[in-house]
Amino acid sequence: MSVPEVYSIAQTPVTCHAFNANRSQVALSLNDNKAYIYVNQGEGWAVTETLAEHDKAITSIDWAPASNRIVTASQDRNAYVWSQSPDPLTGALVWKPTLVLLRINRAATFVRWSPNEDKFAVASGARAIAICSFDPENNWWVAKQLKKPIRSTVLSVDWHPNNVLLAAGSADMKARVFSAYIKDVDKRPTPTVWGEKLPFNTICGEYASPAGGWVHAVGFSPSGDVLAFASHDSSINIVYPGGPTIYNIRISTLPYVTLTWTTEGSIVAAGHDCQPMVFSGSEAGWALVGTLDDTTSGGTKFTAKTGTVGRLNSTAFNTFRNADTRGHAGGGDVVGDTELLTVHQNTITSVRPYEVGRDGAVKRVSTSGVDGKLVIWDVAAVSVGGVAGRLGAMRI
Amino acid sequence: MILLESHNVIIQTTLTDKAVKPSYLDVLFVDFDGVRFHLSTPEKKTVVQLSMNIRSWDELAAYGALDVLRREYGSLIRAQTEPEYNISLDIDLEQLPANEASREAFIKSISLLKRNALAAPFELAFRQQKTLEASGSSLGDLMQIHYRDEEAIYVRASPDRVTVIFSTIFREETDRIFGKVFLQEFVDARRQPSIQNAPQVLYTNRDPPLEIRDVPGLRDSEDIGYVTFVLFPRHFAKPDVSYNTVSHIQLFRDYLHYHIKCSKAYMHSRMRHRVAEFQKILNRAKTEVATTERKTVTGRTMVVR
Amino acid sequence: MSNVLRPYLSAVRSTLTAALTLESFSSQVVERHNKPEVEARGSKEVLLNPLTISRNENERVLIEPSVNSIRMSIKIKQADEIERILCHKFTRFMMQRAESFVVLRRKPVPGYDISFLITNVHSETMLKHKVVDFIIQFMEEVDREISEMKLSLNARARTVAESYLTAFTS
Repeated sequence: MSVPEVYSIAQTPVTCHAFNANRSQVALSLNDNKAYIYVNQGEGWAVTETLAEHDKAITSIDWAPASNRIVTASQDRNAYVWSQSPDPLTGALVWKPTLVLLRINRAATFVRWSPNEDKFAVASGARAIAICSFDPENNWWVAKQLKKPIRSTVLSVDWHPNNVLLAAGSADMKARVFSAYIKDVDKRPTPTVWGEKLPFNTICGEYASPAGGWVHAVGFSPSGDVLAFASHDSSINIVYPGGPTIYNIRISTLPYVTLTWTTEGSIVAAGHDCQPMVFSGSEAGWALVGTLDDTTSGGTKFTAKTGTVGRLNSTAFNTFRNADTRGHAGGGDVVGDTELLTVHQNTITSVRPYEVGRDGAVKRVSTSGVDGKLVIWDVAAVSVGGVAGRLGAMRI
Repeated sequence: MILLESHNVIIQTTLTDKAVKPSYLDVLFVDFDGVRFHLSTPEKKTVVQLSMNIRSWDELAAYGALDVLRREYGSLIRAQTEPEYNISLDIDLEQLPANEASREAFIKSISLLKRNALAAPFELAFRQQKTLEASGSSLGDLMQIHYRDEEAIYVRASPDRVTVIFSTIFREETDRIFGKVFLQEFVDARRQPSIQNAPQVLYTNRDPPLEIRDVPGLRDSEDIGYVTFVLFPRHFAKPDVSYNTVSHIQLFRDYLHYHIKCSKAYMHSRMRHRVAEFQKILNRAKTEVATTERKTVTGRTMVVR
Repeated sequence: MSNVLRPYLSAVRSTLTAALTLESFSSQVVERHNKPEVEARGSKEVLLNPLTISRNENERVLIEPSVNSIRMSIKIKQADEIERILCHKFTRFMMQRAESFVVLRRKPVPGYDISFLITNVHSETMLKHKVVDFIIQFMEEVDREISEMKLSLNARARTVAESYLTAFTS
């Protein structure tokens, strides 16, 4: 199980991905204006459906596991909720879009269903977050906006398990916790460590990394009592609001853009460094544990078959073409050429829980990257080598 | 080919061909410095007429060009010069020397027409130097040959030397800088023991040398350069050396600019190569290997699942 | 790579790698637009501090990062008039071919000889680390190319002068 499952989906970046409840299907955006639904066919994944309604690149997708609905957000300022309904002619199930009245005038950047799947939050470049809930009378989704005190594009959001609190990371260098309480939808929330009375748009906390930097990713711990955020100064910050205590872990590599909690005491974060890293700790302190991508062993790497098909796919042809256009001499490496040893060959765009064990701990996570790969990792297979090993050596 | 030849190849090859197989002919062509030639057979195909137009003919004629040409070509010179040209020669192909070697020499001498016309001021200066040296008087007259627009050769004899000054224009900044590099090498090259006997070369940029400072109408701008050659009697004492010197020095400007152009062309091909190499390095970064889109006859794209 | 140049180039390489952490970022100023923020300069908070790495007063690199694009400008060593003209010719030659060098800017930033504009689209269609390789190799080879061109010019000039003057002595 320690070998990650690697699927080469496309030559284009996979901007975001979202699995359905039983992980048999995945919705992807390939950096264009359509969302693709891929179905697992044992060996690999194949497109079964294309959700085409947006007219600009889709930035984020979320798939509600229980109610089986997909929400997509795009740079064209819109979001659509897709639900399956039988086609009147054939009777087959097809995905039908419903437009959401976001009332934002800039790109939608990020979208997440709330844990109860009765609301979702859309982050946007209009310095606002739209909290959308269903209005059964008019049969549409209406939005209420969180505006103050956001001063720049919101890059990511994450829901607290109580369905009311929402964390948001934004390009104004701050991570914030808001209340997204909607009267008609939510029951009065029980008090949490974040606060007791929570009317809409209450600011429960505002945090920044010591060195500043855009907050790319936010995440509540499974209990909801701890907040983690990754910022562009190459650091991960873990906030215990009671103290308040903020642990800031600075790393020597490139910034992370996405993170997910696997247990109450561990986080997987990934980003420009092209490999998922594991952090663990508790209220007493946090530290980098290692990487899921064992770059030292090498040999077990999947070499995904790419390139053209048919008569132009011969090795000889490719050798000569590479020699011509790239100056490679027959497969041998040229001096001054850097090779990445990681599975992902470019920035990882999103990391999400894939398999949750019976105890509630995440056993496997999935990542999608700009290199067009979708990878499923075993969280337990942490390799201390690589970066962590080097850091250890430095401490001595 | 490093050195330029002073004879005209077109005249030489055309005449050699026609000597074997005469036919009607009417060719217009040019040589360095805007010199125009016309080769034709106006009357019959065995008599070829060669006419030349040279920009500075009036100046050359004043310095005795006609005498030099008469000496070289004698009766070949037509009394009636073709209109728009400065001098015309008649070459009767039937009267060519029968002996192959002497025929070649004859044709070669015809093809040196331009060189001989331009030789007049130099020969005059060499003679003047001798008389000045004998009489002990000071300076000869300054001879000016405006052989190109804005560019001229100045020749002046002194009791112990003959000074030849070229003014030359560098149209582009690149030419100017390349020219500077080349001319600096001309100045430095004499340090080598093997060519210490060569004429002394001086180079000034913008400011005209002392000898011609009082000439009216000199341009005063950054793009002009002056090259001075100082010829000592050893360069023209003996007739064959003198002949060589004249052929050689009159091509100096063309030689310099020819090599500047060559250098620029070389740089260009080098850059082209280097840029192609950079392109390859950048191509290595591209993830997409260009996929050839395959289409059916009806224009539908084939999709691979 | 010569040892003298190595620290300079490795500093540029690390800075460039760190700066090339780009993501798609839709404009906050104009709706439905997505443009390089480092050029548009519409929102101050998405621009990072520009950074100059300088080897000496004649050789330096300016890196201007932003959230979805970076601009990198290089000042190439020019010791004298010849190197200046060769460098000018070479960079102009390259910039005229900017379409094929997708990351090349058509005009350098004032005070520099050549500029690159790398956007998130480039970092998506190309491997980031190979783009860095390209720029480092460019910096390395452009100096060498210019000095080689200069040497070849001098060598030609010497040969030309010598053959011309030798002809007088024969």
